[in-house]
Amino acid sequence: MSHTQQFTPHRRSAIVLLLVPVLVGGAVATALGVYGELHPPTGFAVSLAGFSGPLAMKAWLTTGAALLAIVQVLTAMAMWGKLPFEGGWVEPTHRWSGRIAFLLTVPVAFHCLYAVGARYDEPRVMIHSILGCLFYGIFATKMLALPKRGVPGWTLPVLGGLLFTLLVGLWLTSSFWFFTTIGVQF
Amino acid sequence: MSRLGPVYTLAVGAVLTVALGVASAQASPAVEQATAVPIDTTSTAPPVEEEAPTPEETPAPGETAPPEEAAPADTTPKKVDYAGVVQGNGGLVAISIRNGKAVAYFCDGHIEAWLKGKAENNTVTLEGKNALITASLGGGKAQGRVEFKGKSWRFSAAVVKKPSGLYRATAQVRGARIVGGWIKLPSGQSVGRLTIGESGAGEAAAAFDGGVVTWYGIPLTPTEPDAFIDTINP
Repeated sequence: MSHTQQFTPHRRSAIVLLLVPVLVGGAVATALGVYGELHPPTGFAVSLAGFSGPLAMKAWLTTGAALLAIVQVLTAMAMWGKLPFEGGWVEPTHRWSGRIAFLLTVPVAFHCLYAVGARYDEPRVMIHSILGCLFYGIFATKMLALPKRGVPGWTLPVLGGLLFTLLVGLWLTSSFWFFTTIGVQF
Repeated sequence: MSRLGPVYTLAVGAVLTVALGVASAQASPAVEQATAVPIDTTSTAPPVEEEAPTPEETPAPGETAPPEEAAPADTTPKKVDYAGVVQGNGGLVAISIRNGKAVAYFCDGHIEAWLKGKAENNTVTLEGKNALITASLGGGKAQGRVEFKGKSWRFSAAVVKKPSGLYRATAQVRGARIVGGWIKLPSGQSVGRLTIGESGAGEAAAAFDGGVVTWYGIPLTPTEPDAFIDTINP
Protein backbone atom coordinates (compact mmCIF):
# COMPACT_ATOMS: atom_id res chain seq x y z
CA MET A 1 0.00 0.00 0.00
CA SER A 2 1.49 3.31 -1.07
CA HIS A 3 0.15 5.28 1.85
CA THR A 4 2.39 3.36 4.22
CA GLN A 5 5.38 4.97 2.55
CA GLN A 6 4.49 8.61 3.18
CA PHE A 7 7.31 10.69 4.64
CA THR A 8 7.89 14.20 5.86
CA PRO A 9 7.39 16.25 2.68
CA HIS A 10 3.84 15.00 2.32
CA ARG A 11 3.01 14.75 5.99
CA ARG A 12 1.22 18.07 6.30
CA SER A 13 -1.04 17.51 3.31
CA ALA A 14 -1.54 13.89 4.39
CA ILE A 15 -2.87 15.02 7.77
CA VAL A 16 -5.09 17.62 6.12
CA LEU A 17 -6.81 14.75 4.32
CA LEU A 18 -7.99 13.52 7.72
CA LEU A 19 -9.59 16.83 8.61
CA VAL A 20 -13.05 16.07 7.23
CA PRO A 21 -13.25 12.48 8.58
CA VAL A 22 -12.15 13.65 12.03
CA LEU A 23 -14.60 16.57 12.05
CA VAL A 24 -17.46 14.32 10.93
CA GLY A 25 -16.52 11.72 13.53
CA GLY A 26 -16.41 14.38 16.22
CA ALA A 27 -19.80 15.62 15.11
CA VAL A 28 -21.22 12.07 15.25
CA ALA A 29 -19.90 11.45 18.75
CA THR A 30 -21.13 14.84 19.96
CA ALA A 31 -24.55 14.37 18.37
CA LEU A 32 -24.98 10.96 20.03
CA GLY A 33 -23.98 12.38 23.40
CA VAL A 34 -26.32 15.34 23.09
CA TYR A 35 -29.16 13.10 21.91
CA GLY A 36 -28.54 10.70 24.79
CA GLU A 37 -28.62 13.58 27.25
CA LEU A 38 -31.62 15.48 25.87
CA HIS A 39 -33.90 12.76 24.49
CA PRO A 40 -36.33 11.65 27.20
CA PRO A 41 -35.76 7.91 27.65
CA THR A 42 -38.72 5.97 26.34
CA GLY A 43 -37.65 2.85 28.21
CA PHE A 44 -38.93 0.90 25.26
CA ALA A 45 -37.49 0.10 21.88
CA VAL A 46 -37.98 -2.77 19.50
CA SER A 47 -35.94 -5.76 20.47
CA LEU A 48 -34.94 -8.82 18.52
CA ALA A 49 -36.91 -12.01 18.79
CA GLY A 50 -35.26 -14.97 20.46
CA PHE A 51 -34.09 -13.27 23.63
CA SER A 52 -36.09 -13.06 26.83
CA GLY A 53 -35.54 -9.31 27.08
CA PRO A 54 -33.61 -6.36 25.76
CA LEU A 55 -30.83 -6.73 28.34
CA ALA A 56 -30.04 -10.24 27.13
CA MET A 57 -30.36 -9.17 23.50
CA LYS A 58 -27.85 -6.38 24.03
CA ALA A 59 -25.44 -8.55 26.02
CA TRP A 60 -25.28 -11.21 23.28
CA LEU A 61 -25.15 -8.90 20.25
CA THR A 62 -22.30 -6.99 21.89
CA THR A 63 -20.52 -10.28 22.57
CA GLY A 64 -20.93 -11.20 18.89
CA ALA A 65 -19.48 -7.86 17.84
CA ALA A 66 -16.57 -8.24 20.29
CA LEU A 67 -15.72 -11.70 18.91
CA LEU A 68 -15.79 -10.31 15.37
CA ALA A 69 -13.56 -7.48 16.59
CA ILE A 70 -10.93 -10.10 17.48
CA VAL A 71 -11.21 -11.37 13.89
CA GLN A 72 -10.76 -7.73 12.83
CA VAL A 73 -7.51 -7.37 14.73
CA LEU A 74 -6.10 -10.69 13.46
CA THR A 75 -6.98 -10.04 9.81
CA ALA A 76 -5.69 -6.45 10.06
CA MET A 77 -2.39 -7.75 11.44
CA ALA A 78 -2.18 -10.19 8.54
CA MET A 79 -2.91 -7.40 6.05
CA TRP A 80 -0.04 -5.37 7.52
CA GLY A 81 2.29 -8.34 7.40
CA LYS A 82 2.43 -8.87 11.14
CA LEU A 83 0.99 -12.38 11.01
CA PRO A 84 1.99 -15.15 8.66
CA PHE A 85 -1.33 -15.59 6.84
CA GLU A 86 -1.83 -14.55 3.33
CA GLY A 87 -4.42 -15.09 0.69
CA GLY A 88 -7.33 -13.52 -1.04
CA TRP A 89 -9.63 -14.32 1.87
CA VAL A 90 -7.96 -12.01 4.38
CA GLU A 91 -9.20 -8.66 3.09
CA PRO A 92 -12.81 -9.76 2.42
CA THR A 93 -12.88 -11.40 5.85
CA HIS A 94 -11.68 -8.19 7.44
CA ARG A 95 -14.20 -6.10 5.54
CA TRP A 96 -17.20 -8.35 6.15
CA SER A 97 -16.44 -9.18 9.79
CA GLY A 98 -16.22 -5.44 10.38
CA ARG A 99 -19.47 -4.71 8.61
CA ILE A 100 -21.32 -7.46 10.47
CA ALA A 101 -19.83 -6.36 13.81
CA PHE A 102 -20.94 -2.78 13.15
CA LEU A 103 -24.44 -3.87 12.18
CA LEU A 104 -24.68 -6.06 15.30
CA THR A 105 -23.94 -3.03 17.46
CA VAL A 106 -26.62 -0.83 15.84
CA PRO A 107 -29.69 -2.40 17.53
CA VAL A 108 -27.78 -2.36 20.83
CA ALA A 109 -26.80 1.30 20.61
CA PHE A 110 -30.27 2.16 19.36
CA HIS A 111 -31.82 0.57 22.43
CA CYS A 112 -29.28 2.26 24.71
CA LEU A 113 -29.86 5.74 23.32
CA TYR A 114 -33.56 5.58 22.49
CA ALA A 115 -34.79 3.65 25.49
CA VAL A 116 -32.28 4.58 28.18
CA GLY A 117 -30.19 7.61 27.19
CA ALA A 118 -26.72 8.65 28.22
CA ARG A 119 -26.29 8.64 31.99
CA TYR A 120 -23.55 9.76 34.29
CA ASP A 121 -24.80 8.71 37.74
CA GLU A 122 -22.88 5.45 38.09
CA PRO A 123 -19.29 4.74 36.97
CA ARG A 124 -20.15 1.72 34.83
CA VAL A 125 -22.96 3.53 33.04
CA MET A 126 -21.00 6.75 32.67
CA ILE A 127 -18.00 4.99 31.15
CA HIS A 128 -20.28 2.98 28.90
CA SER A 129 -22.11 6.13 27.71
CA ILE A 130 -18.88 7.95 26.87
CA LEU A 131 -17.22 4.96 25.17
CA GLY A 132 -20.37 4.35 23.12
CA CYS A 133 -20.45 7.91 21.76
CA LEU A 134 -16.71 7.81 20.98
CA PHE A 135 -17.04 4.43 19.27
CA TYR A 136 -19.43 5.66 16.57
CA GLY A 137 -17.47 8.87 16.12
CA ILE A 138 -14.26 6.95 15.48
CA PHE A 139 -16.08 4.42 13.34
CA ALA A 140 -17.38 7.23 11.10
CA THR A 141 -13.87 8.71 10.96
CA LYS A 142 -12.38 5.38 9.94
CA MET A 143 -15.01 4.69 7.29
CA LEU A 144 -14.48 8.15 5.77
CA ALA A 145 -10.68 7.87 5.95
CA LEU A 146 -10.59 4.39 4.33
CA PRO A 147 -11.28 5.41 0.71
CA LYS A 148 -8.89 8.38 0.81
CA ARG A 149 -5.51 7.88 -0.81
CA GLY A 150 -2.45 9.44 0.76
CA VAL A 151 -3.56 9.62 4.40
CA PRO A 152 -0.74 9.12 6.95
CA GLY A 153 0.35 5.52 7.33
CA TRP A 154 -0.65 5.33 10.96
CA THR A 155 -4.26 6.35 10.27
CA LEU A 156 -5.89 2.94 9.91
CA PRO A 157 -3.90 1.12 12.63
CA VAL A 158 -4.60 3.91 15.11
CA LEU A 159 -8.30 4.19 14.27
CA GLY A 160 -8.73 0.42 14.14
CA GLY A 161 -6.88 -0.03 17.42
CA LEU A 162 -9.04 2.64 19.04
CA LEU A 163 -12.21 0.95 17.79
CA PHE A 164 -11.11 -2.40 19.17
CA THR A 165 -10.20 -0.87 22.54
CA LEU A 166 -13.49 1.01 22.75
CA LEU A 167 -15.51 -2.08 21.83
CA VAL A 168 -13.74 -4.15 24.48
CA GLY A 169 -14.46 -1.38 26.98
CA LEU A 170 -18.10 -1.33 25.91
CA TRP A 171 -18.31 -5.12 26.24
CA LEU A 172 -16.75 -5.05 29.72
CA THR A 173 -19.17 -2.36 30.93
CA SER A 174 -22.25 -4.14 29.55
CA SER A 175 -22.15 -7.80 28.55
CA PHE A 176 -19.48 -8.82 31.06
CA TRP A 177 -21.43 -7.04 33.79
CA PHE A 178 -24.65 -8.75 32.67
CA PHE A 179 -23.08 -12.23 32.54
CA THR A 180 -21.35 -11.84 35.90
CA THR A 181 -24.30 -10.35 37.81
CA ILE A 182 -27.46 -11.78 36.25
CA GLY A 183 -25.76 -14.82 34.80
CA VAL A 184 -25.30 -16.30 31.35
CA GLN A 185 -28.93 -16.01 30.33
CA PHE A 186 -30.54 -15.73 26.91
CA MET B 1 -13.91 -3.53 -4.63
CA SER B 2 -15.60 -0.21 -4.45
CA ARG B 3 -14.02 2.79 -2.84
CA LEU B 4 -17.49 3.65 -1.69
CA GLY B 5 -17.76 0.40 0.32
CA PRO B 6 -17.16 2.10 3.70
CA VAL B 7 -19.71 4.77 2.85
CA TYR B 8 -22.27 2.06 2.05
CA THR B 9 -21.48 0.48 5.42
CA LEU B 10 -22.24 3.76 7.17
CA ALA B 11 -25.37 4.21 5.06
CA VAL B 12 -26.66 0.73 5.93
CA GLY B 13 -26.09 1.50 9.61
CA ALA B 14 -28.03 4.73 9.26
CA VAL B 15 -30.89 3.01 7.43
CA LEU B 16 -31.03 0.30 10.11
CA THR B 17 -31.16 3.00 12.81
CA VAL B 18 -34.06 4.75 11.07
CA ALA B 19 -35.89 1.42 10.62
CA LEU B 20 -35.49 0.64 14.33
CA GLY B 21 -36.78 4.12 15.16
CA VAL B 22 -39.86 3.72 13.01
CA ALA B 23 -40.56 0.24 14.38
CA SER B 24 -40.11 1.40 17.97
CA ALA B 25 -42.38 4.40 17.49
CA GLN B 26 -45.12 2.14 16.10
CA ALA B 27 -44.82 -0.69 18.60
CA SER B 28 -45.44 1.30 21.73
CA PRO B 29 -45.95 -0.63 24.95
CA ALA B 30 -49.38 -1.47 26.27
CA VAL B 31 -49.32 1.09 29.04
CA GLU B 32 -48.83 3.91 26.56
CA GLN B 33 -51.82 2.75 24.57
CA ALA B 34 -53.79 2.99 27.78
CA THR B 35 -53.27 6.74 27.80
CA ALA B 36 -55.29 7.01 24.63
CA VAL B 37 -58.35 5.93 26.62
CA PRO B 38 -59.31 8.79 28.88
CA ILE B 39 -59.70 7.46 32.38
CA ASP B 40 -62.66 9.13 34.03
CA THR B 41 -61.58 9.34 37.61
CA THR B 42 -64.74 11.08 38.73
CA SER B 43 -66.96 8.17 37.69
CA THR B 44 -64.83 5.55 39.42
CA ALA B 45 -64.31 7.48 42.61
CA PRO B 46 -67.78 7.55 44.19
CA PRO B 47 -68.27 3.77 44.54
CA VAL B 48 -64.82 3.46 46.06
CA GLU B 49 -65.54 6.33 48.37
CA GLU B 50 -67.86 4.13 50.41
CA GLU B 51 -65.04 1.69 50.96
CA ALA B 52 -62.70 4.37 52.17
CA PRO B 53 -61.91 4.26 55.85
CA THR B 54 -64.18 6.79 57.45
CA PRO B 55 -62.24 9.34 59.42
CA GLU B 56 -64.57 8.95 62.43
CA GLU B 57 -63.27 5.43 63.00
CA THR B 58 -59.69 6.47 63.54
CA PRO B 59 -59.82 8.95 66.42
CA ALA B 60 -59.80 7.14 69.70
CA PRO B 61 -62.83 7.40 72.01
CA GLY B 62 -63.01 10.48 74.22
CA GLU B 63 -61.64 8.92 77.40
CA THR B 64 -58.26 8.08 75.91
CA ALA B 65 -57.76 11.26 73.89
CA PRO B 66 -58.10 14.39 75.97
CA PRO B 67 -59.40 17.04 73.58
CA GLU B 68 -57.41 19.84 75.21
CA GLU B 69 -54.08 18.13 74.61
CA ALA B 70 -53.89 18.92 70.90
CA ALA B 71 -55.62 20.54 67.98
CA PRO B 72 -58.43 18.58 66.30
CA ALA B 73 -57.45 14.94 65.88
CA ASP B 74 -55.62 14.09 62.69
CA THR B 75 -58.12 12.35 60.45
CA THR B 76 -55.47 11.00 58.10
CA PRO B 77 -56.25 7.35 57.38
CA LYS B 78 -54.03 4.99 59.36
CA LYS B 79 -53.95 2.26 56.76
CA VAL B 80 -54.94 2.89 53.18
CA ASP B 81 -53.77 2.14 49.66
CA TYR B 82 -54.34 4.39 46.68
CA ALA B 83 -53.62 3.65 43.03
CA GLY B 84 -54.45 5.45 39.83
CA VAL B 85 -53.40 6.79 36.48
CA VAL B 86 -51.02 9.72 36.08
CA GLN B 87 -52.67 12.14 33.66
CA GLY B 88 -50.88 12.86 30.43
CA ASN B 89 -48.05 10.48 31.20
CA GLY B 90 -49.47 6.98 30.77
CA GLY B 91 -47.88 5.80 33.97
CA LEU B 92 -49.54 4.64 37.14
CA VAL B 93 -48.97 5.82 40.67
CA ALA B 94 -49.63 4.01 43.94
CA ILE B 95 -49.45 5.43 47.45
CA SER B 96 -49.72 3.34 50.60
CA ILE B 97 -50.03 4.77 54.09
CA ARG B 98 -49.34 2.88 57.32
CA ASN B 99 -49.63 4.86 60.59
CA GLY B 100 -48.32 8.12 59.22
CA LYS B 101 -45.61 6.58 57.09
CA ALA B 102 -46.11 6.65 53.37
CA VAL B 103 -44.56 4.90 50.40
CA ALA B 104 -45.25 5.53 46.75
CA TYR B 105 -44.26 4.14 43.40
CA PHE B 106 -44.57 5.89 40.07
CA CYS B 107 -43.94 3.82 36.95
CA ASP B 108 -44.86 3.65 33.31
CA GLY B 109 -42.79 0.57 32.57
CA HIS B 110 -39.86 2.71 31.43
CA ILE B 111 -39.31 5.42 33.99
CA GLU B 112 -39.97 4.76 37.63
CA ALA B 113 -39.46 6.21 41.06
CA TRP B 114 -39.80 4.85 44.57
CA LEU B 115 -40.69 7.50 47.13
CA LYS B 116 -41.15 7.64 50.84
CA GLY B 117 -42.61 10.25 53.11
CA LYS B 118 -45.20 11.13 55.71
CA ALA B 119 -48.95 11.38 55.83
CA GLU B 120 -50.46 13.92 58.19
CA ASN B 121 -53.43 16.28 58.26
CA ASN B 122 -54.83 14.47 55.22
CA THR B 123 -51.91 15.37 53.04
CA VAL B 124 -49.04 13.20 51.95
CA THR B 125 -45.61 14.33 50.82
CA LEU B 126 -43.15 11.82 49.43
CA GLU B 127 -39.65 12.18 48.10
CA GLY B 128 -37.52 9.94 45.96
CA LYS B 129 -34.57 10.16 43.62
CA ASN B 130 -35.45 12.99 41.19
CA ALA B 131 -39.06 12.60 42.28
CA LEU B 132 -41.60 14.33 44.49
CA ILE B 133 -45.24 13.49 45.11
CA THR B 134 -47.66 15.71 46.98
CA ALA B 135 -51.31 14.81 47.38
CA SER B 136 -54.32 15.64 49.46
CA LEU B 137 -56.33 12.77 50.86
CA GLY B 138 -60.09 12.76 51.08
CA GLY B 139 -63.26 11.51 49.48
CA GLY B 140 -61.69 8.12 48.93
CA LYS B 141 -58.97 9.57 46.74
CA ALA B 142 -55.47 10.91 46.81
CA GLN B 143 -55.26 13.84 44.43
CA GLY B 144 -52.06 15.63 43.66
CA ARG B 145 -48.99 15.89 41.57
CA VAL B 146 -46.04 13.76 40.55
CA GLU B 147 -42.84 15.61 39.78
CA PHE B 148 -40.16 13.59 38.07
CA LYS B 149 -36.92 14.94 36.62
CA GLY B 150 -38.30 18.45 36.24
CA LYS B 151 -41.64 17.39 34.78
CA SER B 152 -44.93 17.47 36.58
CA TRP B 153 -48.18 15.58 36.09
CA ARG B 154 -51.48 15.52 37.97
CA PHE B 155 -53.07 12.36 39.24
CA SER B 156 -56.12 11.17 41.06
CA ALA B 157 -55.71 7.79 42.75
CA ALA B 158 -58.68 6.05 44.30
CA VAL B 159 -58.60 3.83 47.34
CA VAL B 160 -57.96 0.28 46.19
CA LYS B 161 -58.23 -3.10 47.86
CA LYS B 162 -56.16 -6.21 47.44
CA PRO B 163 -55.27 -7.61 44.92
CA SER B 164 -55.02 -4.10 43.46
CA GLY B 165 -52.36 -1.78 44.76
CA LEU B 166 -48.62 -1.68 45.13
CA TYR B 167 -46.16 -4.58 45.12
CA ARG B 168 -42.40 -4.74 45.45
CA ALA B 169 -39.90 -7.56 45.24
CA THR B 170 -36.20 -7.47 45.95
CA ALA B 171 -33.35 -9.92 45.54
CA GLN B 172 -29.60 -9.84 45.84
CA VAL B 173 -27.73 -11.58 43.05
CA ARG B 174 -23.93 -11.74 42.95
CA GLY B 175 -23.53 -8.34 44.55
CA ALA B 176 -26.22 -6.60 42.52
CA ARG B 177 -29.56 -5.60 43.93
CA ILE B 178 -32.65 -6.39 41.91
CA VAL B 179 -35.83 -4.45 42.59
CA GLY B 180 -39.18 -5.09 41.00
CA GLY B 181 -42.18 -2.81 41.35
CA TRP B 182 -45.75 -3.33 40.20
CA ILE B 183 -48.98 -1.38 40.41
CA LYS B 184 -52.31 -3.09 39.77
CA LEU B 185 -55.56 -1.21 39.27
CA PRO B 186 -59.06 -2.62 39.83
CA SER B 187 -59.68 -2.12 36.09
CA GLY B 188 -57.08 -4.79 35.40
CA GLN B 189 -54.54 -2.28 34.11
CA SER B 190 -51.13 -2.89 35.56
CA VAL B 191 -47.56 -1.78 35.13
CA GLY B 192 -44.26 -3.01 36.43
CA ARG B 193 -40.54 -2.67 36.08
CA LEU B 194 -37.53 -4.73 37.08
CA THR B 195 -34.16 -3.12 37.60
CA ILE B 196 -30.71 -4.30 38.52
CA GLY B 197 -27.96 -2.34 40.20
CA GLU B 198 -27.71 1.30 41.14
CA SER B 199 -28.03 2.55 37.59
CA GLY B 200 -31.61 1.44 37.23
CA ALA B 201 -30.80 -0.69 34.20
CA GLY B 202 -33.80 -2.85 33.66
CA GLU B 203 -36.85 -3.80 31.73
CA ALA B 204 -40.60 -3.47 31.86
CA ALA B 205 -41.99 -6.33 33.92
CA ALA B 206 -44.81 -8.57 32.83
CA ALA B 207 -48.00 -8.43 34.88
CA PHE B 208 -48.11 -10.99 37.64
CA ASP B 209 -51.06 -12.81 39.15
CA GLY B 210 -49.68 -13.76 42.51
CA GLY B 211 -46.85 -16.12 43.22
CA VAL B 212 -43.24 -15.91 42.20
CA VAL B 213 -42.02 -13.85 39.25
CA THR B 214 -38.94 -15.14 37.46
CA TRP B 215 -36.57 -12.74 35.73
CA TYR B 216 -33.65 -14.28 33.86
CA GLY B 217 -33.96 -17.24 36.16
CA ILE B 218 -33.97 -15.13 39.32
CA PRO B 219 -37.02 -15.80 41.50
CA LEU B 220 -38.72 -12.72 42.93
CA THR B 221 -41.65 -12.63 45.32
CA PRO B 222 -43.76 -9.46 45.10
CA THR B 223 -44.86 -8.34 48.54
CA GLU B 224 -47.45 -5.89 49.82
CA PRO B 225 -46.54 -2.51 51.37
CA ASP B 226 -46.69 -3.82 54.98
CA ALA B 227 -43.65 -5.92 54.19
CA PHE B 228 -41.48 -3.20 52.66
CA ILE B 229 -42.69 0.20 53.87
CA ASP B 230 -39.84 0.40 56.39
CA THR B 231 -37.18 -0.73 53.94
CA ILE B 232 -37.63 1.84 51.17
CA ASN B 233 -34.61 4.06 50.98
CA PRO B 234 -34.78 6.03 47.77
